[in-house]
Amino acid sequence: MSGDTRSRLLAATLACVERWGLAKTTIEDVAAEAGLSRATVYRYFPGGREQLISETITWEVAGFFARVAQEVAAEPTVAGQIRRGLMFGHRAIVEHKLLQQVLAAEPEDLLTELSTSSPLVHGVIRGYLDDLLSGETLVPGVDRHEAADYLARLYLSYLGTPGRWDLADEASVDRLVRTQFLGGVLAGAGGAGEPGTPQPEVR
Amino acid sequence: MTVGTQSLLDAPADAPLRDRILSATLRCIGRWGVTKTTLDDIARAAGCSRATVYRAFPGGKDVLLHEAATHEILAFFAEVAADVDAASDLADALTRALLDATRRLRRHEALQYLVAHEPGVILPYTSFDGIQPLLDLAAATVAPLLERHLPTSSAPQQAAELSEWLVRVVLAYALDVDDEAVVDLTDPADTRRFVTTFAVPGVEPDQPGPDRTQP
Repeated sequence: MSGDTRSRLLAATLACVERWGLAKTTIEDVAAEAGLSRATVYRYFPGGREQLISETITWEVAGFFARVAQEVAAEPTVAGQIRRGLMFGHRAIVEHKLLQQVLAAEPEDLLTELSTSSPLVHGVIRGYLDDLLSGETLVPGVDRHEAADYLARLYLSYLGTPGRWDLADEASVDRLVRTQFLGGVLAGAGGAGEPGTPQPEVR
Repeated sequence: MTVGTQSLLDAPADAPLRDRILSATLRCIGRWGVTKTTLDDIARAAGCSRATVYRAFPGGKDVLLHEAATHEILAFFAEVAADVDAASDLADALTRALLDATRRLRRHEALQYLVAHEPGVILPYTSFDGIQPLLDLAAATVAPLLERHLPTSSAPQQAAELSEWLVRVVLAYALDVDDEAVVDLTDPADTRRFVTTFAVPGVEPDQPGPDRTQP
């Protein structure tokens, strides 16, 4: 099955990158790791090494955010989803051995690759949040699309860099979400705190 | 070494030799990028000899790049802080910071060249923990100027948090070359709207005691 072969090659690339790094991983390494021929690798990735590396990173990023999405799905509120997304996502980044390894050894190559996939990631998160917000009462005057865009950017920023916020601490993350994330977006989400009474307006 | 309170882009022709060389370095990067710029290019742009450049910066190109970047970052925060210092209230302070920061980053040819053509050079300082020095600088320079506009009981903490928020917004909106951004951080009215919509309402009011009774 072609889907299987493709996944096998992507997984093999990850294994090679873990062993040899981004720059030194070759098509031969990946073919050997996957137990396939060079020709097969080229059939699936005609762009060769560059395409293989780039698609492997995109694949891993997509898998990462799919796990985040799965993790947050059970949370009933927007605030809860963002809170869980921050806590789970940040921990997953810290504990992602391969990411941390390549980030330390080959930051330029990895970050350049990641930055090419970041508009896509941002777009997916923005779309997700936009849907989520459509069931909420927003502060009058707030544009839902702009709010979703803002939240997506802020989320990605905190995911990579917590700064002075302890993203392992539920109370800290709760305050962050209540202030910078939703303080101006959701009616009743600000410092005053009026949880529990969202009016799901049908429009 | 001169303490940077002004961008090297504005270094006058009679500036000290080291500043002229650093300024020339930035001009070269703005034209050719980091990889292609040579010490000969820098010497020529500075109007001096290669030997003079080496005497002033014995470490060569790497040291030049590092010192130019350090100078520009410190100058950037000093300049933005000076603008924030003149603000009348919190919304004005945050608006000024975003406008001033965006304007300075957009006109910075060296930075813009790297963002567009050599992102690998700049990304380690704008992603993951690489951002931390920028967050620290904002907390040191801009946060104290925000405190006066915040509820007294929590002013230092909320000011530090908002100073970091500014860095995040600038990196996510102003530096990111992204046409989809909904807010125009070069436009004063739009920037003020953005700030009063998303940041100001999140400020927590003074709380007399720790008794936050919630249902």
